[in-house]
Amino acid sequence: MTTIEEQIWDYIDGNGDSAYRTEIGAKIATDPLYSETFESCMAIHLEMNEISLDEPSMGFTNRVMDAIEKEPAPVALKTRLDRRIVFSIAGFFIIALLAIVATAISESSLSIGKVSLNIDFERYISPSFIKLFLFIDSCIALLYFDGLLRKKRV
Amino acid sequence: MQEQETDLELITAVLRGNSSTYAVLMKRHQRFVFTLALRFTKNREDAEEVAQDCFIKAYRSLGTFKQSSKFTTWLYTITYNCAMTALRKKRPDTFSLDDEEMGTPLTSFIAAANEDTIEKKSSHFYLNMAIDQLSPEDATIIILFYKAEQSLEEIAQALSMDSNKVKVKLHRARIKLKEKLQYLLKEEVKEML
Repeated sequence: MTTIEEQIWDYIDGNGDSAYRTEIGAKIATDPLYSETFESCMAIHLEMNEISLDEPSMGFTNRVMDAIEKEPAPVALKTRLDRRIVFSIAGFFIIALLAIVATAISESSLSIGKVSLNIDFERYISPSFIKLFLFIDSCIALLYFDGLLRKKRV
Repeated sequence: MQEQETDLELITAVLRGNSSTYAVLMKRHQRFVFTLALRFTKNREDAEEVAQDCFIKAYRSLGTFKQSSKFTTWLYTITYNCAMTALRKKRPDTFSLDDEEMGTPLTSFIAAANEDTIEKKSSHFYLNMAIDQLSPEDATIIILFYKAEQSLEEIAQALSMDSNKVKVKLHRARIKLKEKLQYLLKEEVKEML
């Protein structure tokens, strides 16, 4: 349940659908309590639009530009991260995974009658393979974490 | 007359290596950034430092700006974070942004209003006084909504809040502002008598 003042502010801000706004508009026109609240809120609203902004000192822009000159020039993210490179890496991993699964299935003994799939994963996923896989995963996780921290710094 | 370049055109120019164009972008938004910073720091020197820090950070990260949202919303997010960091450095003990104590005390404003200046006759003066008494977060929401023409959703994005929470906060801030204005104007009438 919203208060009269909340309804009036919604009306002034243009929130709510047209039916709601028509209803509040009608109440403002007929109900003295609504019209009184509307007038006081409207006075604040109009006053608020006149709020003045503060100006920094004259040399502010030059000071910031001097500091910026020492900074390396920003580069668009698109330039830094070429989508083709991202897709190529993703493609490589997908193809590699599909190849492993396909080889494993082709060399497995599949019997449809009993629906038993006997795949010897140990033959394909060796300890060195797991280590390599984990190493690549760690690198990706570190890169992601680095990106996350950079975003937070902003 | 030459048409004014949009923010995105200016950003593209900066990213293409024309870093001096950043001054145009900065001049366009520095009053908003400075005003927001001032609501947190309460003094001009610190506010300039926060605003400077904000523009440098924005420049460094300009390449990561996603053009899906307005540049101003992104810039105000950086301003808010810089101001929060400055506030934490200033007051390392725990504080709440909702805390009214974070606003300037009413007594100091009444003393300022009692000074015989032409400005005090202006209703804007009292409005600015009343805004200064709000908590930094409430004052930021008011400034972003009324002066920076940010929607509730954009303010929510800039302050990392839910838009419903922003709506409630805006409503409460306006009620507080109304009360404070009534109080300040009452003091003015008393003084005139």
